[in-house]
Parts: sequence; structure tokens; C-alpha cells
Amino acid sequence: MNGLTEQKYLLTKETMEEDDIDDEEMDSGSGSEEIPLSEPSKDAVYNREGLLEKLEEIAWPKDLEWIHKLTIVYDQAEEIDVNDDLTRELAFYNQAVNGARNAFEKLQSMGIPFLRPPDFYAEMVKSDNHMLKIKSRLLVEKKKMEEAEERKKARESKKRAKEVQAHKLKEKAKRKKEEIDSVKKWRKQRQQSGFARNSKAEEMDFGDGANSFQRSNKKRPGVTPGDRSGGFKAKEKNKRRTFRESKFGHGGRKGMKKKNTAETTNDLSVFNKSDLRGSKKRKR
Amino acid sequence: MAKKRKHEEASEEGRKKDEVAPERPKRTLTAWKSEQLEKQNDAPVFRNKEKVLITCSRRIISRYRHLMLNMVALLPHSKKDNKVESEDSKGATLNELVEFRNCTYCLFFECRKQKDLYLWMARSPDGPSVKFLVNAVHTMEELKLTGNHLKGSRPILTFSSNFDKEPRWMLIKEMITQIFGTPKDHRKAKPFHDHIFAFSIVDNHIWFRNFQVSVPHNETDKMDRGGLDKMTLIEVGPRFCLNPIKIFGGSFGGPTLYSNPLYISPNQIRAMEKRKKAGKYVKKVKAKTRRKMHELENPLEPDEFADLWKE
Repeated sequence: MNGLTEQKYLLTKETMEEDDIDDEEMDSGSGSEEIPLSEPSKDAVYNREGLLEKLEEIAWPKDLEWIHKLTIVYDQAEEIDVNDDLTRELAFYNQAVNGARNAFEKLQSMGIPFLRPPDFYAEMVKSDNHMLKIKSRLLVEKKKMEEAEERKKARESKKRAKEVQAHKLKEKAKRKKEEIDSVKKWRKQRQQSGFARNSKAEEMDFGDGANSFQRSNKKRPGVTPGDRSGGFKAKEKNKRRTFRESKFGHGGRKGMKKKNTAETTNDLSVFNKSDLRGSKKRKR
Repeated sequence: MAKKRKHEEASEEGRKKDEVAPERPKRTLTAWKSEQLEKQNDAPVFRNKEKVLITCSRRIISRYRHLMLNMVALLPHSKKDNKVESEDSKGATLNELVEFRNCTYCLFFECRKQKDLYLWMARSPDGPSVKFLVNAVHTMEELKLTGNHLKGSRPILTFSSNFDKEPRWMLIKEMITQIFGTPKDHRKAKPFHDHIFAFSIVDNHIWFRNFQVSVPHNETDKMDRGGLDKMTLIEVGPRFCLNPIKIFGGSFGGPTLYSNPLYISPNQIRAMEKRKKAGKYVKKVKAKTRRKMHELENPLEPDEFADLWKE
């Protein structure tokens, strides 16, 4: 026995070494020779009889019940392109689905319990910890997708809002122009018709070209210097309030009120004569 | 078991009626041995006693080690062993090891150069054995594979039809069914079927996939109406692709029965790529020297107007 096994080991050792040598030869040798992928090498071994013999040697009995083997053969219709990941995976999936259906039909006809009841808890291939990780990853991915979608939506709505705003501005400018035009027209008509009964009315200023845009020098009563509201503010206030505001000031920018103007600098009426001579404090 | 016991009770009642001193049936460790059972045992009953030893070589990288551990988890009838030095005498040591562990098959994951994974499938005492190159490895730990199934439930094996076309594939198919099929009534096996292995040959490679089968059901032996149509599969992993290199007659050696003519070792592929890259510089130098030689051989004629504007 011992000798026999030894022989076997020797044999195996030899073959293994051969194999290794083969590999190394492929590494170092064949410098300029390019190996074509599609063409099979000539010295390949294919001992069909030997293979079949071996198969018979190891095979299980042929009349074996299916339940021992649980194998299903799936007829693949067409060739699959290996490099196309999607179709390849789909083919595998189809094979598996088909196999599972066939197998489950067989099992069901046998009447053996084969489906796991929902309250059957046992050790799984993947641990709970790992499944939690998978779950959290799925959630994160979902969240990411949702966020991206939201961002996309916001961007689009912003774009639309911009467009709407531009349109509005354009319309406003257009209306303004039209109004000015209509007033000019009206005045012209009036001049042409010689309608000068009320000269004061004619002087009612609608804005005379460039002058109309300049700020008038008149002091507006009841309006603080910084007030740009155009009188809208004071409309609803009572008289007493308006008076007081004109006296003490209200609203508008504070800076405007505190600044000196030409008038205030020239106005020396505030200064006392006694002050000019020197204050009492100085005297002391 | 319950049925058997009932039978026994019935027979015992019968014996009481006879009122003859009843012969005690033989006892086994767990129960009384009934005659019927003995009769059944007389007929040759097939019992799947395949055991698979799973080991790997030293200096295996983590990804491949995880793949190996996944296989251990998937095959309840497997035994894991220590790493084996993948030097010259690995065949001998492995054979010894398999014998020592009472196994009939061995899956040996051999990692070379920290890059390439070879898988040996060997039937232990006297062959055959197949050596594969393993490509496209994805382990079960990857988070993209979301399925899960019972540990130790018996898988259903599906093969694509081109496994039956050639003797080499037939042999490999038989080996795969014996290795990957969990024996019926194995003590670690669970009684339900909730996953399926798909082996299919595409481009002369064997592709392996593992899916979880989920079917709507209430009872354990019947699916709901239309359950077959509603069946969905979720991939559990691992994934890999086997490229057969050689089939040997013995276990881890012996006469070569088949060698793949289309096989190119990964070393060769890498060398080819390197050579391609290396060729660039050599070509440049060659072109330069050629140009120089050409210029030397065909000197320009002296120009008559060369010093026309020099005066």
C-alpha cells in the first residue's frame, strides 16, 4: 500500500511541476510571437474516451431520484454576448427563474414542505449586521436620488422665474413709454387746437422732457428731506400727525437730515453774539 | 418518525391479542427497530455522502479568502482547513489532508502573485481533478447584492443546456452537482429550499450566480395562487467565472485528459500588454536611426545661391 501511494504522490508531483514549468515558459519565452486569442493551440489534449470513462466512474446511479440531485437543465436559446453585461446577467436571471419554477413545481407535486414558513427563524447566510448595512446603503441611495431630483426641480423653476421677471420688466417699460407718448400726443393736439382758455392748466406739469426727471428744488411741505415715498406715506395720517412729522421729522434716511446743506452752513442766526465774544466758561 | 411509532403501537396491540410472549424488537439508540425498516435497509439505498474539503494556499488575498469563506457558508457539507503552502508538493499534502479529513472532494483556492486565483476541484482518492482560472470575483460581502437566505438550505442547481454537449462539460457538470449539491437529510441542512445556483457556460467559461427565491406563500408545501408568476429572485452572491484550464485523471495530478486550447495564462496577457507598451520607445529609436542613415546616404546637393546675399 505504502509504495503504491508513494508512487501516486510522485506522479502528482511530476504533473504539478510540469504545469508550473509550462507557466514559466509562457512567461519568459516566445518573445516576438504574438498569441492570437481566437486560434486554438495545436498541442492541446482532448481525450474524450478518458473523460467519459472518468464520468462513468464518478457518476451517481442513473435512476437516482431527482430529490437527491435537485438539478434543472435550462435550454439556452441564443448565444449571449459576454461583453454586454445587462443581457448576460438577464440571461442568468432567466435561467435561474426558469429553474426555480420547474423545481418548485416538482417539489409541490411531491408534497414535501419546501417553503420556509414566515415564523421560521434560523441562521442566515448573511448576518443581521450585514443586512442592516445593506439597508442603510439602499436608504442613502434613495435619499441621494430624491435630493438630486429636488435640486433639478428648483433649478428649473428658478429659470422659469427669471424668464417671467424679464417679461414683466419689458411690459412695464413698454407701458411707460406708451403713456408718455399718449400724453405728448394729447398736448400737441391741444396746442394745435389753440385751446388756451386756462393758461394755468397748461402749465400743469406733466414733465417736460428731460426736465421732468430732474428733482425739483422746491421744498415739499410735510415731507422729510430723505423721504422718497412720494407722499404715499402721509396720505392716511391725520393733520396733527403730519404737522408734527414735518416739524420733528419721521422716516427716511437719518443721514440726510443730519448733513449740512449750503443753507445751514450760511445760516449764522443760531449763533449768539455773546458766544462770538467768548463763552462764559472760557472766561473763567 | 411519528408514522413509524404508530406502526409499532399497532403491531404491539396485535401481539397482545396473540398472548404469546412477544419477542422484543431490536433496539437502536433512539427507537425500536421495526422489521419494515430493516427490510428497507436491505435494498441498496443511495446515500449522498459527499464531503468537500475547502482550503486555500498561503498568501491568498482578502478578496479571494472571502470568496472561499462564502463557499464554506454556502456548502454545509464542507469542511474548512488551514492554508496550505502552494509549493511543489501541494498535491501530495492535499491528498493526504483530504484523506485525513474523510472528504471525497476538495476545493482548493490557489492564489498566485497576489493577483490570480486558480481553483482546483478534485475528487479525492482517484480523480478526476479540474483546474480553473477564476475571473470576475464578487463576494457576498458586497453591498450591491441584497438577497439573503437560510444558511444550509439545499440549493437547486440549474445548468445551461450546453453542459450536455461535450464530454468535458459533462464531467465538470457531474462534479459540480456532487460538490455544490447539499446531501439530502444532511444534519446541517435545513429542510427548505430558498435559493438557487445558476451555472451557465458562456464563451467557454462557467459563470456562477446565487439567487434567493422569494415566493408569496402561507403554507410550507404550497404556493399561493399565481405564486410561480409572482416569483422573484434576488441575488445573494458570490459571483465568479471559471475558465477551465486542464482536466487531470488523478486527484491533483495524473494524466491530462483535457487541456484548454484557448487558455492564455494571465501572466502571458500581462507580458503582452507590457511588451506593447515597451515597443513604443524602441520604435522611436529605430525611426531616428533610420532617418539618420537615410540622411547620410543621400546628402543634399550644395546650393548655388547659398552665399548670394552674404557679400
